[in-house]
Amino acid sequence: MTEKEIVAKINDVLCTGFELDSALLKPEARLKEDLQLDSLDAVDMLVYLEENFKIQVEGERLTEIKVLGDVYKLVTDVLLSTKADTQLSENI
Amino acid sequence: MKVFVTGMGCISSLGNTPDELYASLRGQSSASQFYPEWQKLNGLHAHLGAPAHSYDVKSLPRTVRRTMSRMSEMASLATLQALQQAQLTLTPSSRTLLILGSTTGSPETMQAYFKLMEDRGGPEGQVSTSFFKIMNHSVAANVGAALQFKGPYLSPSTACSTSSQAMILGWELLQTGLYDCVIAGGADEMSPLTSAIFDIVFAASRKFNETPQQSPRPFDQERDGLVVSEGAGVVVLETEDHMLKRKTRALAELAGGAYVADCSHMSQSHKEAMLITMNEALNRAKLPVHSVDYVNAHATGTMQGDIEEAQAIGAIFGSQVPISSLKGHMGHSLAACGALEAIACIKMMEMAEIIPTKNLHKIDPFCGGAMLLKEGPPLKQKVTTVMSNNFAFGGMNTSFVLKTV
Repeated sequence: MTEKEIVAKINDVLCTGFELDSALLKPEARLKEDLQLDSLDAVDMLVYLEENFKIQVEGERLTEIKVLGDVYKLVTDVLLSTKADTQLSENI
Repeated sequence: MKVFVTGMGCISSLGNTPDELYASLRGQSSASQFYPEWQKLNGLHAHLGAPAHSYDVKSLPRTVRRTMSRMSEMASLATLQALQQAQLTLTPSSRTLLILGSTTGSPETMQAYFKLMEDRGGPEGQVSTSFFKIMNHSVAANVGAALQFKGPYLSPSTACSTSSQAMILGWELLQTGLYDCVIAGGADEMSPLTSAIFDIVFAASRKFNETPQQSPRPFDQERDGLVVSEGAGVVVLETEDHMLKRKTRALAELAGGAYVADCSHMSQSHKEAMLITMNEALNRAKLPVHSVDYVNAHATGTMQGDIEEAQAIGAIFGSQVPISSLKGHMGHSLAACGALEAIACIKMMEMAEIIPTKNLHKIDPFCGGAMLLKEGPPLKQKVTTVMSNNFAFGGMNTSFVLKTV
């Protein structure tokens, strides 16, 4: 999955889950102030991302997220580390 | 202290405003439908339901809607209607009380929640908002959120008498002088699970799949059980002082009411307890028996419940006071029915007429002794004082008295 595809999929998940206007979904958009996503939404966003990307994200990592770009980065990081773990276990 | 109804709102199987609902009742409409997909459910024999009319809840912000199941959506819309009619703007106050309940939390959400839990072997994949749809006080909390309410709320839950109990509880609490205003009602959403609850105890209609509009049949010889429905009914209750201060128009007086449990059996209702409840409602309303000129029965179309109620009403009111049930039109909306029926009764008083029982053609002889109105157009008659009954599983019996103003 390319970075562009990851971003598109995250945007799609957010639009569907939180009725967001896709025009608002820019990396610099602040979750709370610009997208009106509060703490409950943040928890549910994590669940939607985990379900859609088949990943596991540590709940503590929510604190890293301030803007949408942080979400893109978090998902990309987790996907990369998952891939790395899979390759490692395959090598073993 | 006198208590008045100053606002009413509803979402129902026969219309999404009190006027729409009443027009359908006058037109002798039936809300019953056959649900062929319910036939696929093992062990479910009752396949009729009376769904609420479709509604649009998009006027509520997403952050409010996200924790709502259908029962909270319907209750919120009904409450907004009631407040609008009462011209009541809520401000943060401990003197305005919200009393709203439902039979359970959302059955549909519960089913999905526990299925996922079972499938995944734990809470993996659960979203945070599901719990707010299934908690017992979901309706009160979510309507509160829709109103951005800052004040006290209560969430009574007595199944089919939930909203009538909410109204009576409101009446009681207004007597204390601690409150000026109570927003009272109830809501429930239909699902095959609710039909199953009654089907299991042989209390739901099974024989009218080909002709759904001929069921339920309260008091009729051919009745075979109730038809589940859904909706929300909400009324605004105010003390006389508060109403006069606001220069608001009263729609009716809630003269009094009583809720009395008979816990000798969990599902079977008894006429003795109904008698006690109706008499206590009259005592509290300080009204004599002969002042009542119409009884709105709970009668859902079940074999035993209808007989017990007809006999109880007959024992108090004799054979000269007209009686009808609206379940033949609307089905049984469970927690919503008490308030929905109160709304219909207030409209009957306004229109000086009585809506007879739909699908009542041949009165069950065991229901004899009372003046049961058979299906037909509204009976033109002045109505000044109404007794309205609602009874519920768990042994709860409720009766309240409405008066014209």
